[in-house]
Amino acid sequence: MKKSLNAIVKVSVLVGLVLMSSSALFGAKNSVTMGGSTTVLPVAQKAAETFMDMHNEINVSVRGGGSGVGIASLIAGSVDIGNSSRAIKDKELKAAREKGKNPVGNTVALDGIAIVVNPKNSLTELDIVTLKNIYTGKVSNWKALGGPDQTIVVVSRDVASGTYEVFGEKVLKGSKVREDALMLASNKAVATTVAETPGAIGYVGLGFLSEGVKALKIEGVMPSEKTVRDGEYKLARPLYMYTNGAPKGIVKEFIDFILSPDGQKLVKETGYVPLVE
Amino acid sequence: MNKKAKVVALMLCLLLSVEITLAITTNLSMELWDRYTMVRQAGKTQKSAFSLERGYLRLEPTFTDKIKGRFNLDFFASDKYNDGAGIKLKYAYVEFNDIVPIPLSRFSFGMDKTYFGTVYDWTYVTIEKALEDKEKVISSADYGINFTGYIPKGYGEYAISVINGEGYSKAASKVNINPAPVVNLRLIPIPGVSLGGSVLYEKAGFIDTIKTAYDKRMAYTGVARFAFGPLDAWFEYLAQTNGVTTRGEYKETKSQGFMIMPVLRFIRPLDLVLRYDKWDPNSGTANDGWSTLIGGFNWNILFDGQGTPTLFVQTNWQRTMYDDSNKKPLDQIMVQLRWTFGNNLID
Repeated sequence: MKKSLNAIVKVSVLVGLVLMSSSALFGAKNSVTMGGSTTVLPVAQKAAETFMDMHNEINVSVRGGGSGVGIASLIAGSVDIGNSSRAIKDKELKAAREKGKNPVGNTVALDGIAIVVNPKNSLTELDIVTLKNIYTGKVSNWKALGGPDQTIVVVSRDVASGTYEVFGEKVLKGSKVREDALMLASNKAVATTVAETPGAIGYVGLGFLSEGVKALKIEGVMPSEKTVRDGEYKLARPLYMYTNGAPKGIVKEFIDFILSPDGQKLVKETGYVPLVE
Repeated sequence: MNKKAKVVALMLCLLLSVEITLAITTNLSMELWDRYTMVRQAGKTQKSAFSLERGYLRLEPTFTDKIKGRFNLDFFASDKYNDGAGIKLKYAYVEFNDIVPIPLSRFSFGMDKTYFGTVYDWTYVTIEKALEDKEKVISSADYGINFTGYIPKGYGEYAISVINGEGYSKAASKVNINPAPVVNLRLIPIPGVSLGGSVLYEKAGFIDTIKTAYDKRMAYTGVARFAFGPLDAWFEYLAQTNGVTTRGEYKETKSQGFMIMPVLRFIRPLDLVLRYDKWDPNSGTANDGWSTLIGGFNWNILFDGQGTPTLFVQTNWQRTMYDDSNKKPLDQIMVQLRWTFGNNLID
């Protein structure tokens, strides 16, 4: 046992020496990396471009991947900011805490999940129950909803997407998306597919609305700045930038910029809803 | 590979095809461990060989948002078979999430991880196995049922299992009739501090009075993990008591030991790892234990989109020192290339 104690002391001394010498490896940081939600991506990209124009010495890199990827990357330490269009799950929080990470959700904008169809579709509104029936396969032809005799092409997001999770929580409520649904990897892919497919229905963040798709009223309410902010639109949600602990240094500067009046103006320009009017 | 193994492999492939057909999406991945090992003792080289230590083929079907499965085959180099390779089943279970009125819960049936000590979240930062696996107290996977869950807000996790207790490599007649209940709790009071423990208890006569190799077996462990900045340090105390009645006399044997493993991550591609294990197989006998010192590093070459290494080299020097002074220390040098690839198959 004495030999064991000696070995432990030696190991501890070695660890201590390496820790003490480690400070030299951590110099001043002049870059911000972020990744995750494709819903948050347009806001993040726009803010990054403007922020870099304001601070030539700072580099901000942005990538997508989906909310699940964003949070996992934050936990793995491969990004400074994990973008997410849903709140962190308890399972992810546990994984983060055991690795010494403390994810803090910084709400940077509000969004409404817009239900979109091809502009040729005459439908103008849906209720949540009918929307669920379409996505679970109980309703499979537009004729059942007063439209043409045309098969409904269901377009969904893939399971790594925060938008998929929020849609599942607010619309599907635990039910399974029909098996022949197209599960796409980004908001842009959903918007493009719906724009190019006459019988399609999909869902995207407000920042991906365009003339190529038609947004439907849900429970009689059209997604808009007002209806999302006051909660009248049922599929509203906050958008997050998760950081490890409260933001510090240039990460704080970047988040502060998005939350500033200029940053919130960019939020509005990208089609999302600023936190305050 | 013998004929029987080939038939088993074919049947498993057919089962996999059915599994893929039923699932919404199936993640298909492989993980391979190519290793060079040199073993030296008393100035003589006992082994110097390249091998494939693990070749995991994983299929993880998602049936619904709440029902998922996992099927894992391990292809490995072995001298037990004529062709120099073997195949074994590692995981085969279906899990049901949030189906009982307890939020964040999961129920699994089949061959799952053994939720004990550090073995269930062991990521092989060292090439060596977790202490309980290495000293053959607990196997890393076993057949059984598991009820696991998360404590809200990330404060930890728990598991209650009933398993065979003999491990994934034992089946049929090699499994005794006593089920082994296992309880595990891991708490994370503050970020970076994890404290936990597990107990496994097996008793003969629970189901029948047929004699087994022991009357009673109890294994227990205490785990602590501290992760702050570049330091991630693991501590584990492990003990096992086996009670056996011989000629009317009941006698208990106690084995115990501990592990300390600090891991340092200063720069992302490099993990520096140190580990010290001490194990006494019978605390009633002197000079029968051993200790192991491991030092090494992992060089992470490629990462996936989430920042998890997918291609990395592990280099470990490992010295086992025996309490018996007549036994010379055993040195091992291992260099291992681990690589993973995979994709989602959308049905």
